[in-house]
Amino acid sequence: MAASAARILIVEDTPTQAEVAGALLRTLGLETRVAETGAQAISIAQTWRPDAILMDLELPDFSGFETMRRLRTEGVEAAIIVVTAHGSVNHAVEAMREGAVDFIVKPYAKARLTVTLQNALEKRALATELREAKAQLGRDRFFGFIGASATMQAVYRTIESVAASKASVFITGESGTGKELAAEAVHRASPRKGRAFVTLNCGAIPRDLLESEIFGHVKGAFTGATDSRAGAAKLADGGTLFLDEIGEMPIEMQVKLLRFVQTGTFQPVGASRPEKVDVRIVSATNRDPWVEVETGRFREDLYYRLYVVPLHLPPLRERGEDSLLIARHFLAAFAREEGKRLRGFTWEVEQVLRAYSWPGNVRQLQNVVRNIVVLHDGDRVEMSMLPPMLLRGAPGQGAVVPDPVGAPPVEPEALPVVPPCVAKEPPVPMPAQPAPTFAPHQAAPLAPPPQNEAFQPLAEVEKRHILAALDRVAQDVPRAAALLGINPSTIYRKLQAWRSDASG
Amino acid sequence: MNAIDPEIAGQLASELPREDFVRIVRTFEDDLGRLARLLEAAVAAGDEEGYRRSAHSLAGAAAAVGARRLEQVARIAMDHRNPADPRVLALQVRQEASEALAELSALAEHPPGAS
Repeated sequence: MAASAARILIVEDTPTQAEVAGALLRTLGLETRVAETGAQAISIAQTWRPDAILMDLELPDFSGFETMRRLRTEGVEAAIIVVTAHGSVNHAVEAMREGAVDFIVKPYAKARLTVTLQNALEKRALATELREAKAQLGRDRFFGFIGASATMQAVYRTIESVAASKASVFITGESGTGKELAAEAVHRASPRKGRAFVTLNCGAIPRDLLESEIFGHVKGAFTGATDSRAGAAKLADGGTLFLDEIGEMPIEMQVKLLRFVQTGTFQPVGASRPEKVDVRIVSATNRDPWVEVETGRFREDLYYRLYVVPLHLPPLRERGEDSLLIARHFLAAFAREEGKRLRGFTWEVEQVLRAYSWPGNVRQLQNVVRNIVVLHDGDRVEMSMLPPMLLRGAPGQGAVVPDPVGAPPVEPEALPVVPPCVAKEPPVPMPAQPAPTFAPHQAAPLAPPPQNEAFQPLAEVEKRHILAALDRVAQDVPRAAALLGINPSTIYRKLQAWRSDASG
Repeated sequence: MNAIDPEIAGQLASELPREDFVRIVRTFEDDLGRLARLLEAAVAAGDEEGYRRSAHSLAGAAAAVGARRLEQVARIAMDHRNPADPRVLALQVRQEASEALAELSALAEHPPGAS
C-alpha cells in the first residue's frame, strides 16, 4: 500500500477490537498506537502526530464526536475515519459533518480497511499539499515582514530554504528595504533561533574600535581597556552574527574577518590565544558588492566567503500592492499608539500611496504615515493630510494625484526605476515645510565654465544637473521636477533614455 | 447456527499471522471474563447504565471476531426497549461466550488452509 510508513492511531476502548484493528494494520506495514479514551487520543495525537485516526464513537470519557472537535482545536490534522457498528449510519453522516474523511462499518475485512485508509491518506496528503501551496503563494506576513507581492514571496521562500543551513547569507537592497529584518528572519527560522542574534553595524563603529567590537579585547590591551570584554563574535556563539553595512568595513579589518570566516577562530585584541566559536554570518550592504570588489574597496576572497547565498530585497516601488498593505498596517499601529481615530485611507490617497516611488522604501513610508497620524485626526486619511512631497509634480501641481472621476491610476510598473545606489536615508516628511530651493553651488552644472575649461556637451550638462537635483531630494522625481521647473514626465523620459544608453 | 461466523473469524485466521490471531483470541477471552463480570455486577446492583455499557462493549468485542450469537444477545441487552429479563440475558451471555471461545480456540489450533 502507498502509505506503508504511515502512522495510525486506533481510538478504541474494547481491547479485542483494538487488537483486531492493530493486527490488520500491522500486516499492511503501518505503525500503530492505541488510545482507550478521548483524552488519551488527544494526548497521543499531539505528540505522535498520526497520519490517520480510526475513531470509535463510544468512549468512556467523552464521545468520538467531541474527541474529533478537540483534536481539530488542538491543530491535529490527521485524517479521521469513524468506525461505526451496524445500523448507525446516522452516526456516520454526523461524523462526516464533523470533519471525518470516511467511515467504516465493523466488523471490517482487511481489504475494506486497506481501501478506506488508502483513500483517507491520499485525501490528507492532497489537502496538506494544497494548504502548503496556498501558504506559499498567499503569505502577507513573514516574521517581521509585511507584503504579499510575488517578489516578497520569493524572498520568504529563499529565507526558509537557507535557514536550516549554516551557509553565509549576503543581503543586498536599498536603504529601508528591511535588510536587518531579513537577517533576523534567517536567524529566527533557523535551528539557531534559541541562541543569540548579534547585530554589528560596520559603518557606525569608528575604524579603530571595530576589531575590538567584533573580536573583543583583554584587560590592558589598549589605553582605556580597563576590563576584558567579549566581542560580537563571542556573544553570537551558537547563534547568528549580522554584519550590517559590511561594505564600510576597512580593508585591513577585512583580512581579520576573512580568517575568522575561514577558521571559525579569532583572537581578542591583546589576547595570546585564539578562541573558537560556532557562528553563522549574515552580511548586508546597500551597495553592489561586486562593484565594491572591482573598485578594490572589498576583498574578493572575503566576497566569495560571504556571498554564498545572495538575498536581494526589492525596493518598495517593485512590490505592487505591498505599499498599501504596509501603509494600512502602520496606520493601525500608529493610530492605536497615538490614540487617534484614523482607520483607513480615502481612495485618492490610496492611489497616491500606490503610485509614489518611495525612494526611501518602507522606512520612508513608515515616516510618512507616522507624520500623518501625529499631525491629523479623523476617520480616514485624506489628500489634504498628505505631505507635499507626495503631491508635488501632479497636473496643476502636478504629479501622482489621480483623476477623481475615475481615470486609471498610475501603475507602479510605469514608474521609473531610480538608480539603486543613490537612495539616501529617507527625508522625514514635514508637510508645513516649504519646498527647498535648489541653490547650485560653485561646481554646479549651470555655473559658466571657467575660461580655461572646455565646454561640455549640453546633454552631459543636463544629465549632471538633473541627477544632482534628484540627489538633493532623495530621488523624489516630482520634487526634483518642481525644483527644475519642468514636468516630472521629462525626468522619467530622460532616465529611461539614459538607462537604455547604458545598457545598449 | 455456529457460535462463530466462519466468514469473519476464518478470514482473520487466514489473513493474520498465527501468533496475532492467538493473541486476539486471548484478548477476547480476557474481555469476555471482565465484561461478563461487569454485566453481572450491574444486574445485581440494578445499575441500568452500567449494564448497557457492558453489553455495548461485549457486542463490539463479539462482532470484531465474528461471535455472532453472543453479539445478538449483547445487542438485546443494550436495547432499553427490550423487555427481556437482565438476569436471564446475563446467563445467556456466559453461555454464548463460552461456546464462542471454544470455537475460536479450535480455529486458532487449526486455521483454515493449514495442513
